[in-house]
Amino acid sequence: MLRMEIALFSVVAFVAYIYFSAEKERAPLHRTFSVLLVAVLANLMFDGITVYTVHHLETIPRLLNDAVHRLFLGSMVLTIYLFYQYIAILVETQTGKPRRLDLPAAIFLLIAQLCNYLLPISYTVTDKGNYSSGPYMYVPYAAVVFYLLLCAGLLAVNRKQINKKEKYTIGIALTIEFTVCALQALFHTWLISGMGITLMTLSFYLTLENPEALRAELTEQKMSMLYLKSQVNPHFLYNTLDTIRIQAQLNGDTKVAELLMRLVDFFRLSVKIDRQMVTLDDEMELLEAYMELMCYRYPELHCEYDIDPDLGAAKVPNFILQPIVENSLLHGLKNKGYRGEIIISAKETDEDNIEICVRDTGNGFENGRKDAIDKMLQNYARQAPKLTGNSVGILNVQKRIKLLCGREYGLSYTENEDSGVTAHILLPMKEKIK
Amino acid sequence: MNKLRVLLIDDEIMIREGFKRLFDWEAHDCEVVGEAADGMEALAKIDSLNPDIVIMDINIPIMNGLKVIQTSRIKHPDVAFVIVSGYDDFSYCREALRLQITDYILKPVNYEEFGSCIDNLKIALFRRESSKQEDRHEERTILGITRYLQEHLDEEITLYVLAEQFHLNPQYISQLFKSEIGVNFLAYLTNIRMERAKKLLLSTSLSISDISEQSGYGDYRVFTKVFKKTEGVTPSQYRRDFLDRQ
Repeated sequence: MLRMEIALFSVVAFVAYIYFSAEKERAPLHRTFSVLLVAVLANLMFDGITVYTVHHLETIPRLLNDAVHRLFLGSMVLTIYLFYQYIAILVETQTGKPRRLDLPAAIFLLIAQLCNYLLPISYTVTDKGNYSSGPYMYVPYAAVVFYLLLCAGLLAVNRKQINKKEKYTIGIALTIEFTVCALQALFHTWLISGMGITLMTLSFYLTLENPEALRAELTEQKMSMLYLKSQVNPHFLYNTLDTIRIQAQLNGDTKVAELLMRLVDFFRLSVKIDRQMVTLDDEMELLEAYMELMCYRYPELHCEYDIDPDLGAAKVPNFILQPIVENSLLHGLKNKGYRGEIIISAKETDEDNIEICVRDTGNGFENGRKDAIDKMLQNYARQAPKLTGNSVGILNVQKRIKLLCGREYGLSYTENEDSGVTAHILLPMKEKIK
Repeated sequence: MNKLRVLLIDDEIMIREGFKRLFDWEAHDCEVVGEAADGMEALAKIDSLNPDIVIMDINIPIMNGLKVIQTSRIKHPDVAFVIVSGYDDFSYCREALRLQITDYILKPVNYEEFGSCIDNLKIALFRRESSKQEDRHEERTILGITRYLQEHLDEEITLYVLAEQFHLNPQYISQLFKSEIGVNFLAYLTNIRMERAKKLLLSTSLSISDISEQSGYGDYRVFTKVFKKTEGVTPSQYRRDFLDRQ
């Protein structure tokens, strides 16, 4: 018989290992499940020990035997209480109704534990095996009936508001647990209580607590945060900035007013990100606002433009220049104390394409860095989607150009003869008006 | 020349304060005679103050700016409406153009550049007047000068060139512009250069630098900047917008 207990213990221990090593948020539901896992493990351990000791009544001292039996049934009552608690929290989170049965459940737990440790215990020896008996045996049965009926009641009353899959899985697990306990009550020598408990635990784990479900929940929360963030009305932002700008000017602070004006411009222009393609003039305006602010922050940073005016109306993918320039600043000029120059040029190539160059006088590539960048830009499609990191900006630009303009266009880097690097963006002319 | 009477309409006090105090109305022969914060107040003030220029935000409480224009147009056909619009209600601008507004400017308002808007308004008034007087026989000096400017736009023109051409004192010509049109010579010159550029942008397929040259700007960068300042868009966008609309 001991083999079943060992198997069940291993299964739950394995589940516990996966569960505790997974990334999750600390909601009451998950905390209860963590406690439940520990309680179940303890229960299964005592289950195994009692199965052994009850069959060696002659060799094991009576006091020790009593102790492990009381601990076994005590942990079992606790486990069943936690089942109730878990389902109660689940119902609360899904229906929004407060838990009103916690106090009776806790009082019952207290009484049950007291009885468990105080009522007399005896042992029955039969041909089919030994089992503990006596008045203390009523405690777990009473607990099972009490808590499982509470659980069933909660599920039944709130059945309409509870997720279908969870409702049925837990319902079936409850039925099995109940059946197992009934069988145990009828056939004392079977000693199968651990089976029902393990099944209940597994049903919670599989439906609600497995890493996949937890990750989905976490991602959903992060996404909703991002969504909320993006809901901060940009108009509110730049209208307020504009009010501050006017106040600054009224106070006679022309420089602050001017800087705020550029910041307002920058925000106003970057609000238009709902469009995939914009004119080169739009891109340049955004970039100029950005560069003016940067050059103000770093007075030794200079910027020059050489843009063919006839290309102004050409359509280019939205928001491609600023990330490239920002990249040049961060990787080329930052380590030089932002001392240097950025030259942005746009011209028509012989093949009727547009080439935009962002040339910096920065530090250039570190050893081997150029190969890595080249490789990344070439294999842009195979790069795992990242949300952060150094090259996420240029990778994103590359992906969008390839997607929106075609695979023959895109971004590449060359090293300058003197110092620094040049980013080349090749784009089609097809949208240009002659 | 009488001072032009200006009414300011915006629901944000800061924007009105900005207009009132950051723009040199005196220098542009204007005076702010009143302000209003919502559509109903605006209608009442237009009726009672009888302004020449109404500077109007579209997005105002109770009744939006366009409705105000529509309603008061009937009683006050000669009022010049200048719409101030945030990007959020930019789409209204197309509608606004149908209401024969004089000009529209985008928020954030650069009060120092707002002068060109007033100048354009005055130049438009001057043109309307001079076209009425065309049948008169005696030629006004200023009309001769403006015609000369029109014909020599692609050249470099200064007050001294004009002085030589018309055998007049440069100071006198400068004052003539001020008194007859209400704007200074340079503002007028920029205005007609922009008019020429716009005409060329829409009616020809010349390159921007060619147009820049024919409108009297040697450096297309300067041209693009001035164009952007007065029209709100760059030359190539202006051309594209027109083609898109067709």
